[in-house]
Amino acid sequence: MTLLSVESSTWTITILGWAIVFVALLFLVGIFLTIPKIIRWASNRKVRVVENGQEVVKDINDISGETNAVIATALHLFLNENHDDESNVITIKQVQRRYSPWSSKLYGMTNYGFPHNVSKQNRYSRR
Amino acid sequence: MKKHITTFITLTFLLCLQVVFGTDIMAAPEAVGAMDGLTTLWNFTGFANIDYFNLIMISVGLFFIFLAVKYDYEPLLLIPIGTGIILGNIPGAEAYGVYAKDYLTSLVASGQLDAGQATPSVLEYLYFGVQQGIYPPLIFLGIGAMTDFSSLISNPKLMILGAAAQIGIFATFLGASALGFTPQEAGAIGIIGGADGPTAIFLSSKLAPHLMGAIAIAAYSYMALVPVIQPPIMRLIIPKKERAIKMKPPRAVSKTEKIMFPLIALLLTTFISPSALPLLGMLFFGNLLKESGVTERLADTARNSLINIITILLGITVGASTQASVFLTTDSLKIFGLGALSFIVATAGGLLFARFLNVFLHKNNKINPLIGAAGVSAVPDSARVVQQEGLKTDPNNHLLMHAMAPNVSGVIGSAVAAGIMLSFLL
Repeated sequence: MTLLSVESSTWTITILGWAIVFVALLFLVGIFLTIPKIIRWASNRKVRVVENGQEVVKDINDISGETNAVIATALHLFLNENHDDESNVITIKQVQRRYSPWSSKLYGMTNYGFPHNVSKQNRYSRR
Repeated sequence: MKKHITTFITLTFLLCLQVVFGTDIMAAPEAVGAMDGLTTLWNFTGFANIDYFNLIMISVGLFFIFLAVKYDYEPLLLIPIGTGIILGNIPGAEAYGVYAKDYLTSLVASGQLDAGQATPSVLEYLYFGVQQGIYPPLIFLGIGAMTDFSSLISNPKLMILGAAAQIGIFATFLGASALGFTPQEAGAIGIIGGADGPTAIFLSSKLAPHLMGAIAIAAYSYMALVPVIQPPIMRLIIPKKERAIKMKPPRAVSKTEKIMFPLIALLLTTFISPSALPLLGMLFFGNLLKESGVTERLADTARNSLINIITILLGITVGASTQASVFLTTDSLKIFGLGALSFIVATAGGLLFARFLNVFLHKNNKINPLIGAAGVSAVPDSARVVQQEGLKTDPNNHLLMHAMAPNVSGVIGSAVAAGIMLSFLL
């Protein structure tokens, strides 16, 4: 086995093939280094904050992942502590529902008293 | 326990009978009636048709299952493949394996079977998906739907490491050519260096279908052995001081960028390498399903049910394609040797390029060269190995997220490389 005996076309495929893989991924690198800049330019979000009595315009696009994590955690903790306003009335409300045979206990399976779980005496007494 | 021992002894006795007296032990030409029936039955059993090569392959299958169960090496792949190897090497069951058609055709040609009786087997039908390259793109769909490209988008320069590690593919291509394989065979063998099972199967099904079993088994075996192969090379190439480099945390990536990534990457890579369309198209389609946020049901199916079904079918049929008569050849041994070499070269290529890249980077923005090893696209095993090696040097240095970037770019790189090989060699 010697690499020198390999045909020249094999060397061509080797070098060219690897180079094409590199070029393809380098293109992607270039595009994805540019895209955040374009998005930032397009959104161009700015906020006005008051610092030392003066209004200052600040770019809020440059927020690091750590800052985002801190904000998200703070919001999460705040919302967990926050409860809905409740009426503070703890008595049980009487609920009136219209009669429906679908939810009637009268027609439930347990009321028929099958012989295997209801004694004879119980069945008669039910009548 | 006693019952198992009795069964084992009985089976061993039957095997010994065949080994000592040969396959004609019960063949008595003059026998009639019950004896004749028993003779026929005996001739149809695996004991009568046993071959030492079959036993070797069955042992390999059992070894794969052992590795998966005992050491947790890629169990989702090694258990189906190991079982498939056992299924494919049951003696006397050629009519039910993945090569049933060839076997039955030879029986019909020799007059031992009517043409009407030569019906294909279930395994052969399932193997169709491997032969025609259907399963690998579907696996890529699932991979796309489960991969988060955020780390790659947040630090795009790490993508180059995925390209650097593809040197394994092309170095193996060169080595295989030097060993006397045809250019098509060498291309199919070279892709083992991509450390990507579906890509290896896809390319070998197109370029060298007769070597597919050996190539797939080599690719999956070495992928399973990534935790064994990579750490010594990492320690050899990267000095301890550089292994301790801490990288900046990745920036937050917006949803727009996440949606744009699969679309742009799909257009760019398939324009450069159209032959890789089945793989890259499905990979980025799967990722778009995930990132679009409006097709969660489809993404969920792709990354769970679909990929699980295809993994089962792919594993069992690829395993079953390793019949001893086809698999145990000197070519297979060469392929295994080249496969190991390609993994080593790919890992070393990624690591060395990472060190080279550091020369041009600012002092405060250096990358930990260990992540170069994740450029081989064994997702997520090689990234996990990088994390473990990083922790060994500094218990507070977590490299997993950073390593995922070259890892997923390795998947893209190996698919592009497969497309290039197809364009040049098909």
